[in-house]
This record gives sequence, C-alpha cells and structure tokens, in this order.
Amino acid sequence: MTDITVPAGLWNDGDEAAISAWLYADGDAVSEGSVIAEIMVEKSSFELTAPASGILHIAVAAETPVTAGEIVGHIG
Amino acid sequence: MSSPETITAPRPARRLTIARAISEAIGQEMERDPAVLVMGEDIGKLGGVFGTTTGLLEKFGAERVRDTPISETAFIGAAVGLAASGMRPIAELMFVDFFGVCMDAIYNLAAKQSYFSGGQVTCPMVLMTSVGGGYGDAGQHSQTLYATFGHLPGLKVVIPSNAHDAKGLMLAAIRDPNPVIFMYHKALQGMGWLGTVQRSITDAPEGDYVVPLGKAAIAREGSDITLVGLGLSVHHALDAAARLEKQGHSAEVIDLRSIAPLDRETVRASVRKTGRLLAVDDDYMSYGVGAEIIASVCEAGIPLRAAPRRIAHPDIPVPFTPVMEHFVLPDADKIAAAALTILEP
Repeated sequence: MTDITVPAGLWNDGDEAAISAWLYADGDAVSEGSVIAEIMVEKSSFELTAPASGILHIAVAAETPVTAGEIVGHIG
Repeated sequence: MSSPETITAPRPARRLTIARAISEAIGQEMERDPAVLVMGEDIGKLGGVFGTTTGLLEKFGAERVRDTPISETAFIGAAVGLAASGMRPIAELMFVDFFGVCMDAIYNLAAKQSYFSGGQVTCPMVLMTSVGGGYGDAGQHSQTLYATFGHLPGLKVVIPSNAHDAKGLMLAAIRDPNPVIFMYHKALQGMGWLGTVQRSITDAPEGDYVVPLGKAAIAREGSDITLVGLGLSVHHALDAAARLEKQGHSAEVIDLRSIAPLDRETVRASVRKTGRLLAVDDDYMSYGVGAEIIASVCEAGIPLRAAPRRIAHPDIPVPFTPVMEHFVLPDADKIAAAALTILEP
C-alpha cells in the first residue's frame, strides 16, 4: 500500500489548490510514473504521478481543495 | 554486454484530458513544421485559460507562441494574413461568444480565400475556441454556436468528445489547407473549475496520428433508436443509452465529431437499421444541427417507425441562474425521456 501525496514546494503556500481531474477511475490499474491526476492552482496545472504500480484507490474526489503534503489516495 | 535480442517495452498506458491532447498535438506539429505558430489571449505564460497551449511557450519561445492584446479583430485578422503568406497559424478565440468583432476576417476573408483565388491562395489556419455552458457563466460566455459556423461555406467545423479524437482532429486541422474552426467544450476540458466528464479523459497515442475531418464515429452500437450528438451531448446520449438499456431498449449513439463536413452517410446507415432518430445538441434549436440531421435522413427517404425528434437549447439566451440554466440545457434525463416518446409512443 503506497500513499499518494500532494507534492510540496510546487506553488506558494496559501494559494488555493484543487484536484482538477483524476485521469483514472477508482479501482483502475495504474503503473508507476503514469500521470494519474492533475492539480489546478490559480489556473496553472500540475501533474500528479503514480508512486507505485497497482490498483488506484481515490480518497479525495476531483474538484476538492487540497494542500501540499495531503494524502489524496493510495495504490494497493 | 549488450543483449543479442531487442526487447521492446509495451507502450505504457496513459490518460489525457482534452486540454492536454490539444496541447500535445500543437506541440508535435510545431516541432514537425516550422510554419506552425499559436496566437491568442493568455496562451503564452498561462498556457491558455482552458489549458490548450500548456508548455508551448517554454518549448518554442515567444516568437511562435504569441500572447496578444485583447483584440480579436487584430490577431484573428493577422492570422488570416499569415495563413495567406505561407504560415500555419493557430489562433485561439477564448470564448466563441466573442466572434462578433472578428467575424469579417473569418467568414468574408478566411472562408473565401481559396474560392476567390481559384485555389491559388489557401488559408491553412485553425481557429480554436471554447464553447458551452452549464457552469453559470451567463449568456455571453456559454453559447456553442455550432450552426452559426457550420452554415458558412468554406469553413470546416470540428468538435471532439474525447482526448483521443481531440489530438487526431487537431493534427488533421492544422494540416488542412483551409480554415478549420476547432471547438472544444468547456465541460470536457479537464479543468477542475468547469467540471469534467470522466469518459472524455482517454488514452491517446504519443505518436503522430490523424482523425479525418468529416468522419463520424459510432460511440455505442444499438438497434432500436439512433441518438446523434457532438461534444458534450455524446456523453449525455451515452448516459441516456445506459438508462434505456435497463428499460429494454437498445440505443445507438453517433458522435458527429465534425458538422462541416457532415458525415450524413453514417447517420443514414444507422437510422436505416434502427428506424428511429433523436438528434441532441446544446446550440440554439432553430436552424440548428438537429434540424440538419433530421433533414439529411428524411431527404434520403429512409423509412421511419416514428417521427424524428431533436433536443437542443431553446431559442433564448443561456440563463445565468443555475436552476434556469440546467432546466433548459440538454442532459441524459431529457434525452432518455424524449427517446421513450419515440420508442413507446
């Protein structure tokens, strides 16, 4: 089981960030390094990649605000 | 030590939003063809308000990725001139709603360039533009206007429903010798603040491929009724088809992908099989895409088991209030209900 964590240091603290889209559905197989979600910050987009290969479990739905360091799902 | 055998890794699966697919197509064509450039408002550093030019400024520089002032009259007119001079400009009209100030360049110059010059001067430009509402942006930022452009000779008009098609249609559009209006629906872009239909996020090959302009796709096969849509309404139709299946009806869903040229033959072949037709789009109803679809079937003399119907936005401005906007916009409920009146009259 590997946590999917929102990376820190990509944008200014305090800027509102949200997952704009999960590119895979809950329960889909994903491979390590694939882009699995996009995070929108002040209309700029950041990619979230899979930290491991396995089955994606989404904990935080798209269009939900997130903060750096937050766990938004895991791969098992 | 090198191995005597070459092992090729399987292509890794990947998913793209339509926004990424458009950016990737433009970037790849800019690498291949030095005549391709992009112009528009906030398409440089920001990468486009709808993500259509993400990463291009960093890769190709400000000469070929040109942020323009807020004057569609100026930069779309400039794009038409560039196209006549051998360049292949892609201009972004941020919202199709603002075509008014640049329409002379589009329909009197770009659309007629090749015809007036006997094909000696073509106009290989792409005008990409966002369409559609559903997110409370009111009547000047929510229109689709498919038919307004589809009506004018000399313009090609394409509308992708998913990332795979978006990339292939964009590559085809850039290479086309004539002006192509490339419409992308805001509800399918993969930008969080607009909502996104998950089904529009698809795998798309990393390499070069073209989806031909003017060829519809069968998004779902069925035998009892043909649902015809484009862009977002394809997804509403697919959702409606899933509901109809539970009630014992098999719906075929056609994704037009382009309304000019319009693939009438794919629609006719489907209706010859099903005998029933419902056309769905989110443009204004009168003189619209649905009317053209129904006429295409009726003119061919295809026997129908029930009168054909269409769903579209009624002939009023798009309302601002969400309750009113969603009351008038097509959705899966309205499509399923209309389909049942055709299937079970």
